[in-house]
Amino acid sequence: MEPTLTKSPLLTGAPAAILLKNTPMIKLLDIEKVYHTDTIETVALNRVNLTINKGEFVSVMGPSGCGKSTLLSLMGLLDEPTGGTIEIDGRAVTSYSDKELARVRNHKIGFIFQSFHLINDLSVLDNVELPLLYRAGMSGKERRQRAQAALEKVGLIARTKHFPSQLSGGQRQRVAIARALAGAPEIILADEPTGNLDSVMGDEIMDLLLGLNRQEGTTIVMVTHDENMAHKTERLIRFFDGSQVS
Amino acid sequence: MIRHLFTLIWNRKRSNFLLMSEILLSFFVLFAVSVLLVSNYYNYRQPLGFQYENVWELDVNPGQDTTDHKEMLRLLVQRLQSTPGVVAVTNTSTNTPFSFSNMDTNQYTYKGKAGPQTERYDTDDETAKVLGLNVVAGRWFDRRDAAATRPPIVVNQKFAEKLLGQEAPVGKVLVSNDGKREWQIIGVVDTYRSGSDFASNDPAVFDRRALQDTAFKMSNNEVPVLLVRVQPGSGAVLEQRLVKEIKDITKGWVAKVNTLTENRHDKLKVVLTPMIALGIIALFLIINVALGLFGVLWYNISQRKAEIGLRRAMGATGAGIGKQFLGEMLVITTLGVLGGMLLAAQFPLLGVFGIEPPIYVLSILLAALLIYILTAVCAFQPSRIAAGIQPAVSLREE
Ligand SMILES: Nc1ncnc2c1ncn2[C@@H]1O[C@H](COP(=O)(O)OP(=O)(O)O)[C@@H](O)[C@H]1O
Ligand SMILES: [Mg+2]
Repeated sequence: MEPTLTKSPLLTGAPAAILLKNTPMIKLLDIEKVYHTDTIETVALNRVNLTINKGEFVSVMGPSGCGKSTLLSLMGLLDEPTGGTIEIDGRAVTSYSDKELARVRNHKIGFIFQSFHLINDLSVLDNVELPLLYRAGMSGKERRQRAQAALEKVGLIARTKHFPSQLSGGQRQRVAIARALAGAPEIILADEPTGNLDSVMGDEIMDLLLGLNRQEGTTIVMVTHDENMAHKTERLIRFFDGSQVS
Repeated sequence: MIRHLFTLIWNRKRSNFLLMSEILLSFFVLFAVSVLLVSNYYNYRQPLGFQYENVWELDVNPGQDTTDHKEMLRLLVQRLQSTPGVVAVTNTSTNTPFSFSNMDTNQYTYKGKAGPQTERYDTDDETAKVLGLNVVAGRWFDRRDAAATRPPIVVNQKFAEKLLGQEAPVGKVLVSNDGKREWQIIGVVDTYRSGSDFASNDPAVFDRRALQDTAFKMSNNEVPVLLVRVQPGSGAVLEQRLVKEIKDITKGWVAKVNTLTENRHDKLKVVLTPMIALGIIALFLIINVALGLFGVLWYNISQRKAEIGLRRAMGATGAGIGKQFLGEMLVITTLGVLGGMLLAAQFPLLGVFGIEPPIYVLSILLAALLIYILTAVCAFQPSRIAAGIQPAVSLREE
């Protein structure tokens, strides 16, 4: 029996980091998103072509309502485009079933939101375990260990038994980052992760994300309104009225 | 995932407690309804202990006649007995099968032990034949009993069981609770549920009051009632003939004839009316409970839209979300039902209301089953809605 190839033969032996930078992780081809409500049609994204390479840290800027969140939910497979194709790690996912989409989200993608979206009735540790709960075949013990490791990374290991309401905004966002990390995703999608935080806390979060990108090679797409933060990333994409302008 | 559900429910104990109480309350409503249903169904399935088909009840009205009613009645019974089409005739007290009259007493004692509340029936030697009673020990009354030293009685098994326990009833002497009278049991019938199809199997005692006995004194105030077993297929012709015979012999007494089948229907209507009314009230209560549950679940889901979106983003499928909500409801229902069962089990343990333990147990199980169906039905639609929530929409920041 032939061994199954999980990696491209080109990659074996080559300096991975260099090759990774040129491999597309997220590819949007002619993406269009139109929202239909009773009376109006909103074109949120208009023929967007965009490639995010593996290991890239990209920030997205643009005025409110220009389609940044829409872009991120399409990349995160939380919504379907009305036109065009999305490829994740070289696979077109547009025709995936609900189950397959859920699997890709669970294994490949971590989300960070402006308002944290922690479950208030779950402890910090239970919140961080959440993505692992949807991973078939993982034991409770492994979930616990992974969640603790993720909390360690964000410096909150002392707060595992706390509830979100007992934490500051910055701490909550760090819990959310730990939750995104717990599943060891290749992609992190962060929608204004520092939008609700003061600048000190915001810098903390930014440092965490930068470290993650450099040390683990995680591909990060981050929406932000903060020019300073955007300039810390490798690439800055500007949106206006549903289209990429630079 | 089960552990996760328990954690979630435990951490939300305050709001879940409300839901659980509602389920506990509904459990009791359903339990009460179940007891009603099960006990009535149980009674309905029991044998009546007599045959009402082809038996007619003749309510005789002597009017202003001042002659001796008893002697006249004896002649009348003799004549009716010899009428073609008539199988047997008996003179009884007014508490005939399916009638609205009662003669209950607690006068019987045995060796100082007080007997149960008992329905008493005046009968004669022909009653067992007319009603097709089922004598299971000893015998029914006959001519020999005219010479008895103590008035003979026949009892049903329920009476024997309650007063005598394991002792063999035939031959036992019972004393009235004032100590002035005595009876001797000469026979036992299995059951006699004369009230209605839904009557429970209560204690019954039959006295002998034979018209041919001189010892039997009958006052002119008593309403004579005859039960007549007729040949199958007898109809209006025989009915008119009987009425005419009565008029001829007694020179003017009138008689009203009803079949026991008709009386059974009349009684059923009266017995069923409150049952249906109670059933409707219970139904309204249940609908109320269902709407409450439905509302709470609906509210729950609208409150948890962001959580649903988040779980989808973390890798839950739509179907998985639906299952989670159903699962939560299942756990909460089970907790509520367990609490309800614990309380409901006190009734058979304490033996209140005099309902048989198996009926209680069945009712508890039926109520639990109904509550699960109810919550499943109420949780189904909200869970489907939860499953269908668009993750991108529910995660939108304002
Ligand atoms: N679910 C929706 N239904 C209708 N319109 C929507 C919906 N989501 C977003 N939009 C519209 O699409 C446009 C882009 O929204 P969004 O992606 O949230 O912008 P941003 O994140 O850049 O502020 C806006 O005009 C917004 O009103
Ligand atoms: Mg936005």
